[in-house]
Amino acid sequence: MLELRLVQGSLLKKVLEAIKELVNDANFDCSATGFSLQAMDSSHVALVALLLRSEGFEHYRCDRNISMGMNLNNVSKMLKCAGNDDIITLKADDGSDTVTFMFESPTQDKIADFEMKLMDIDSEHLGIPEAEYHAIVRMPSAEFARICKDLASIGDTVVISVTKEGVKFSTRGDIGTANIVLRQNTTVDKPEEATIIEMHEPVSLTFALRYMNSFTRATPLSNTVTISLSSELPVVVEYKIAEMGYIRFYLAPKIEEDEDETKPQV
Amino acid sequence: MKEQKFESYFGRKIAIDASMSIYQFLIVVGRTGTEMLTNEAGEVTSHLQGMFTRTIRLLEAGMKPIYVFDGQPPDLKKQELAKRYSKRADATDDLAEAVEAGNKEDIEKFSKRTVKVTKQHNDDCKRLLKLMGVPVVEAPSEAEAQCAALCKSGQASFSLVYAVASEDMDSLTFGAPRFLRHLMDPSSRKIPVMEFEVAKILEELNLTMDQFIDLCILSGCDYCDSIRGIGGQTALKLIRQHGSIETILENINRERYQIPEDWPYQEARRLFKEPEVVTDEEQLQIKWSAPDEEGLINFLVSENGFNSDRVTKAIEKIKAAKNKSSQGRLESFFKPVANTSAPIKRKGSKCVLQSPKQEIKPRIFSLQACYSSGPKLNGGLCLLTLDLGSKHSSPLGRGVCFSA
Repeated sequence: MLELRLVQGSLLKKVLEAIKELVNDANFDCSATGFSLQAMDSSHVALVALLLRSEGFEHYRCDRNISMGMNLNNVSKMLKCAGNDDIITLKADDGSDTVTFMFESPTQDKIADFEMKLMDIDSEHLGIPEAEYHAIVRMPSAEFARICKDLASIGDTVVISVTKEGVKFSTRGDIGTANIVLRQNTTVDKPEEATIIEMHEPVSLTFALRYMNSFTRATPLSNTVTISLSSELPVVVEYKIAEMGYIRFYLAPKIEEDEDETKPQV
Repeated sequence: MKEQKFESYFGRKIAIDASMSIYQFLIVVGRTGTEMLTNEAGEVTSHLQGMFTRTIRLLEAGMKPIYVFDGQPPDLKKQELAKRYSKRADATDDLAEAVEAGNKEDIEKFSKRTVKVTKQHNDDCKRLLKLMGVPVVEAPSEAEAQCAALCKSGQASFSLVYAVASEDMDSLTFGAPRFLRHLMDPSSRKIPVMEFEVAKILEELNLTMDQFIDLCILSGCDYCDSIRGIGGQTALKLIRQHGSIETILENINRERYQIPEDWPYQEARRLFKEPEVVTDEEQLQIKWSAPDEEGLINFLVSENGFNSDRVTKAIEKIKAAKNKSSQGRLESFFKPVANTSAPIKRKGSKCVLQSPKQEIKPRIFSLQACYSSGPKLNGGLCLLTLDLGSKHSSPLGRGVCFSA
């Protein structure tokens, strides 16, 4: 038996909008700690990890650990039927092959039930070790989205480098090059407008902009975004979900070929 | 066993059984009746055309192919090879008749059966691949065994060959941890790549690797005859019941099943378990390099009459492909772990023969031995076919099915 009641229903809508472009089908895992999801995109380059802690729900009942396979596009279709102020309740019975989404209007004068079929999804669960990152950048999420969008109009990849000067996003394409440098800036009116750079070691990594742009679909979930970088590790782009948890995107970097591999052999 | 998109193998190192591919190219590429693609001197170039375009397709998808060529066949295979030789001779006679009679269908059929991969074909392809900057490995004996060994060693060392691509299921018997079918099919056929994982197959069949090898020997392999009357299904039943060929031989009804007098199953088993392979990294020299443009143009355009524009464009593609292969994969950073949550949805019951519901991905597979009398695979070799039941459920539906 599973019953999760989320007063701020629009949050779930935003979560789905953030991940459905990257992943088609995924298993939602429910346990006593919370409602979570881990899924890779079809090419196994990017991974999304979502956590909504049980404390964030108005009512949370999960008798045993279960996973529910869903097509995210279909979930999104269901959730689009909910109003932005609606309270959303997720229900599933043991052994059943459906999940029910219940939408209640804030004034309790409209209650809608949507039942969706579940699916069997074979998915690999990756173990993500806790790591010390060489550099962690916190910045306004809208600013990050803007940078990714702008750079994508010029090139396919972005080089993100963190030095003591600041963080630099650069790209190169057929028409030319672009470089955007952000400096640490904490003297702002609102804390969410700050850019905070925490650097232990300089780092520079290359990523495909296509994925970065897909991650920025999570921008409505949070005013700030945290980018954690380490050489030889996937980048983590994290959007905190207030009082509930987070949505984290991992992206494998592009790797420069070894010197000896590029020399002709014959 | 799962279907995968061709594109999802980017960045993966894949060992390919070259002889099998060349054979397919000779049959399929640019053939009409007895006519084949040739250069000015009249030498066949179908294999070069095939190898060139398909390899570029792999490179463009970001894959890193390694071609493995056959070495000396093991002694046990000589009998099988002799059979193929005689079949080819028969086909040559039939072809002559068909040409005389002017029967187009027969000409097509028999001319395909006369196809043989010669040393010249192999050497041409090796030269082409080296010019393209794709590594070539010469197996001491069977290419499939060498492919399997590369894939196995990849588990431990830095070389990390992800899977073996072939159409011959022997690779599984040789212990390749992962096996891909239809990787080298033309894109126009739009067949998804079929990925088999030995560990999962064994788990689903509930067999050990030794039992699986015995099963393959019983079902028919290149190295010894099978027992008349025992096909894949009976073989699986017998292995399940008795556990090994030895116990089967002790218990089997000898009047019903005639065991060949000279049946070297133990040697066949040894060939599968300890095949002759190279595992030394130094000796293998697996490296991907930039293409030799001048060499390629010289070889393909001047010597073999390829269209110069096409070759130049293709070389550009190879160079562009280099960039794509640089994208890393998450698995090289994070390792899979077991998920603790149980699926809420109960999985399907055992042995489903009706067409499965669309949303539940069917994972039925049938096991049956089939004799490929046609020319699709090397001569009349007999192989074990593991097929996805859903697509072919009518012919194979009676096989042993599992749903997981």
